[in-house]
Amino acid sequence: MKQPAMLSAKAFEASEAPIKAFGEALLEAGKANPDIVVVSTDSSSGSGLSPFKAAFPERHIEFGIMEQGAVGYCAGMAAVGKIPFYAAIAPFVSARPFEMVKDDLGYMRQNVKVIGRCGGLTYSQLGPTHHSIDDFALMRTIPGLLVLNPGDPVSIRKATLALAKHSGPSYMRIGSPNMPVLYDEDLPFEIGKGILVREGHDVTLIGTGTVLCQAVKAAQLLDRKGISARVIDIHSIKPLDEDMILKAAGETGRIVTVEEHFLNGGLGSAIAQFLSQTRPTPVKMLGIDDRFASNGPYEGLLGQHGLLAEQIAASSIEFLKKKF
Amino acid sequence: MPLSKKEELKLKFKALALRENVLRMVKAAGTGHMGGALSAADIVAVLYYKFMKLDPQNPGLADRDRFVLSAGHKCLILYAALAEKGYFPKEIMDSYGELDSHIPGHPSMDKLPGVEANTGSLGHGLSIAAGMAMGLKLSASPARVYTLMGDGELAEGSNWEAAAAASHHKLDNLTAIVDKNGLQIGGPSDSIMNYEPLQDRWASFGWSVRRIDGHDYPTIVQTLESLPFEKGKPSLIIADTVKSKGFPFAEGKAAYHYWKATKEELQLADEALAAARAGLEKALAEAQVKGGL
Repeated sequence: MKQPAMLSAKAFEASEAPIKAFGEALLEAGKANPDIVVVSTDSSSGSGLSPFKAAFPERHIEFGIMEQGAVGYCAGMAAVGKIPFYAAIAPFVSARPFEMVKDDLGYMRQNVKVIGRCGGLTYSQLGPTHHSIDDFALMRTIPGLLVLNPGDPVSIRKATLALAKHSGPSYMRIGSPNMPVLYDEDLPFEIGKGILVREGHDVTLIGTGTVLCQAVKAAQLLDRKGISARVIDIHSIKPLDEDMILKAAGETGRIVTVEEHFLNGGLGSAIAQFLSQTRPTPVKMLGIDDRFASNGPYEGLLGQHGLLAEQIAASSIEFLKKKF
Repeated sequence: MPLSKKEELKLKFKALALRENVLRMVKAAGTGHMGGALSAADIVAVLYYKFMKLDPQNPGLADRDRFVLSAGHKCLILYAALAEKGYFPKEIMDSYGELDSHIPGHPSMDKLPGVEANTGSLGHGLSIAAGMAMGLKLSASPARVYTLMGDGELAEGSNWEAAAAASHHKLDNLTAIVDKNGLQIGGPSDSIMNYEPLQDRWASFGWSVRRIDGHDYPTIVQTLESLPFEKGKPSLIIADTVKSKGFPFAEGKAAYHYWKATKEELQLADEALAAARAGLEKALAEAQVKGGL
């Protein structure tokens, strides 16, 4: 059965802060389930927790700047039936307390949702301590832990509500600047299922999170050059929608992955790992190579790593010329 | 209430049974973290046989008290207590060290009922236990949470994050016990990284602190009876103990942190436990406990 492409007719007309979308959905989830608690490490309002805190002050727990301990507390609360959402700046809930996430959430299989906000390069000016371009690589190694990275405000809302219903340890990355709305509100959203954003048959661009919009724009640019690019949104880095990726590999022959992450261990790496063992397919991986990113305006950093729409389009054209 | 002679003897027999279980497991594998298991044996016996509300037939009981073994390497004493309480058939103790054994070298919730947390990496248990205490308070549960820590473990900074937050959030349903046997794998804990004065450090983090002899039954019981030491504060018990307590050949020696048991040592251990049993039987006879234990 042919899947419909999901890109809204009104895509790019509106934009919204990812933290706002997350915070509103979290409040909605909290109203539906009294076991949901939210955990802050001195980053409540910046992490979108204010609406929840205003509605349920007794279910909002502040810890100060102690990310390792907070993960352990979340595990303990989950062990006695609470459902903690713990949100803070992405590197400080992923790389810093990694072992606590691995052992206390992953190995103990606790129902805790860790939200890394201002992820990827979006805390651009603050430099590499505040970038999180290794979080997928880290989190992907933890058995049983979901890794999500939704790519527009609508899918952030849906992902948040899906996380609230899912039972098990999870990590979700969201960005910082306003994101263009790409989808309509009736978007079907399922953890582990990719979204066919637009059809195409010459190449497939697989985007995720904050740079999904760049991939979509790149596809539109490629159109003008007579290249038909399919776009897939992989919001679930783990589990990966293998069927959708395999189908795209078969039907378009070449894959370009677009992510705000080190090439080591990210989405491109996961896709290459999968395809090399199922249907060897040329994959061009766009992301951050083996160096720390610089500092400055967000789009400036994207440009330094070839992640702007025009660059993605140009890389795709070069990639399509290449003989394998 | 002062501990009756009868009850004290009863608890001591239980602690002896736990030590016998520890030896049984070490015999199965030939090795094990014995020293710290035995230093904690008396406290663990009193917790499991006098204080904690548990139902071995229903390990998931909602309002059960929780015991989190932060020093996960002391798992032999946890397994010994769970086996003795009837959480699992005692034969499982003979599988220690085997492939896929239900009693791994650090405790795993997936493998055994009654294990509350997957510890082993140090500096995790206090946060997890405190999170449980927090969640139970939010649910208005009467349950208490206990966590047993090693003294060497206190050098893990994550403990001090957890300690500050536990007092900030007034978790008076939480009790942490530091098994201060004074030795870690590399030697005397205070010389490796000094955390004395322990009472002052914990008190300055907002805990209500008592320091006790961790092998003296009337003191252990009286201390646990008075929990929480102060309303609105988490309680901290520093238990001064002897590493490998009960095996005189190994007592107070860091080398027995992880025991690679020789045949001769196993013989000595058997003899020590047999002598302890004979001593308790004698004390029981002398005490003329009416109706027996």
